[in-house]
Amino acid sequence: MNTRKKKQGYWLTLLPLYLFTIVFVGAPLVYVVVLSFLQRAETWGVTGQFTLQNYRQIFQPVYLQTFVDSLKLAFLSTALITLIGYPFGYFMAKLSPKGKKRMTLALMIPFWTNSLIRLYGWIIIFRANGPLDQLLIALRIVDQPLKLLYTYPAVVVGMVYALLQFMIFAVYSSAEKMDWSLVEAARDLGASPITAFFTVTLKQTLPGLLSGIILTFIPSMGLFFIADILGGNKVVLVGSLIQDQLVKAHNTPFAAALAVVLMLMTTLLIALYRKIAGGKELEGLV
Amino acid sequence: MKKLLAFALAGSMAATLFTGCSSAASQPESKGELNLFTWMGMFPDEVLKGFEEETGITVNYSNFDTDETMLQKLIQAEGGSYDLIIADDYIIQTAIEQGLVAELDKSKLSNLGNVNPIYQGQFFDPEDAYTVPYGAGVQTIVYDPNTVNVEINGYADLWDAALQDNLAIIGNYRVINGMALKVMGESYNTTDVATIQAAGEKLLELAPNIRLIKDENLQDDLLSGEVGAAVMYTSQVTLAKLANPDLKVVFPEEGIGLGIMAQFIPAKAPNADAAYQFIDYILQPEIAKQCFEHLGYYCTNQAADELIEEEYREFLTLPEGFSADATEMIAPISAEAEEAHVQVWTEFKNACGQ
Repeated sequence: MNTRKKKQGYWLTLLPLYLFTIVFVGAPLVYVVVLSFLQRAETWGVTGQFTLQNYRQIFQPVYLQTFVDSLKLAFLSTALITLIGYPFGYFMAKLSPKGKKRMTLALMIPFWTNSLIRLYGWIIIFRANGPLDQLLIALRIVDQPLKLLYTYPAVVVGMVYALLQFMIFAVYSSAEKMDWSLVEAARDLGASPITAFFTVTLKQTLPGLLSGIILTFIPSMGLFFIADILGGNKVVLVGSLIQDQLVKAHNTPFAAALAVVLMLMTTLLIALYRKIAGGKELEGLV
Repeated sequence: MKKLLAFALAGSMAATLFTGCSSAASQPESKGELNLFTWMGMFPDEVLKGFEEETGITVNYSNFDTDETMLQKLIQAEGGSYDLIIADDYIIQTAIEQGLVAELDKSKLSNLGNVNPIYQGQFFDPEDAYTVPYGAGVQTIVYDPNTVNVEINGYADLWDAALQDNLAIIGNYRVINGMALKVMGESYNTTDVATIQAAGEKLLELAPNIRLIKDENLQDDLLSGEVGAAVMYTSQVTLAKLANPDLKVVFPEEGIGLGIMAQFIPAKAPNADAAYQFIDYILQPEIAKQCFEHLGYYCTNQAADELIEEEYREFLTLPEGFSADATEMIAPISAEAEEAHVQVWTEFKNACGQ
């Protein structure tokens, strides 16, 4: 009797959460999936007819190419972020408590500004005859302005900049919890610093590194506005394709089908992660 | 303490209630309101204030980002809620098809004769039964003759290798794919998929010249020297020319694309009479002049043409001898043709990034 009452109360407290999830996550998801199997009307809206045409359309080379390009950019950005973010997070964990606090603050402050506005800062840096051009000319590295803005490297810089913090904090939280005495023990037993790093440190920080990769790779599949703003719209990612289909072509069902495939890819990646990490939750996420 | 705070809050709320009442009472008696729904910044403040003072009608200005949002909201409101909407030609056609637009009672528009007939009788409203044009856009090429060393007279010149990595375009695929169609001597509105695909092939050859594709503030990139030439919207041309009078504006010799934003009254507008008053108010030449100088789009009011200041005249009024026959509007086409266009556009954007 008593336990049942307890259980009822338990469900009641969870009810708002379930309702919220059903209304704001479940229902839109179902809506998108249903929409992706419908046919577009001639000029506006959709007809109630069932079709697989939207999914068939994705397999046209031009649309497959956007998935390939999105993956390519995501891999490249994630690799660069790992290269910069892992050592950063690792050495940050070695700072004094005061240093850690200061560094955390320094990394957080830019987050207070809208990411779009921060990207416009990069436009100013990359602009023709902008600060970077002038610096390179003053240092006599180049003798005339480079065309830096609206190029692929500019997009990659924007991606790395926008997502780097996620990697740093994920690695940092892992490295901070690390048992440094194990590294000392390894060194005492004759391991070189490099061997000690690969056998002890890397293994202990692996959960952080993996969640950092997930936290940067997945958003980088969707951050199409960076490619639009810094790349002059010339790198077509799945996100910008969905936007074009929705806003310009009025082809809502095709946009929905693209979104469903993108979500499936993301789910697959998370499943893959859980398999590697042995069913553990994302470090730094929960 | 908490109670005290609650009382204080309630008191202040009640106070604002009363001030709200008193300020409304002290105004000249309100003769209704006008729910105007359009993009942001379509009218200068003086015009809106002038209308409110003259008629006693309060203007409630709400805005949308895209034509599509507007239509969505109008469908949700079942043709009600709004009294006057200004949007683009193609979306108005859809709105009319959906029965969301009221037929105009022209006896209530005494200044209708001021409208330039070039902008009337177009595809979206062939009988001028539903709409009154507001601003018009004419697709033009703008370039800086100091940095571009070819002469540009039409779309075909944009393919010149001298423009490599130096051209900016807007992200409207019907306009850009349309350039290739025009170079091939075709119509913007062809529904022949093979023709659209051929235009796509032609467009791929343009890719090496494209520096960027952008809809907003494209004029900045031309003014900062990021690109030497651009295909852009009329309001952007106006801003670019005002900032740098040396820029050259080209009416492409292959033919000119025309876009019109027009005013219409929704089928169930709550204050349709206020909407008529407003349309008629801004049709007055003096007022229209202020509107178009603010808006930066082509003036559709021929009575206002001669009032427009010298510095604006070149790009707010059509050039001498401009023939309406040389223009074509971009109209909605079949879903199949539209899909071919999107595919061509995506391929083209991919090619630009290579």
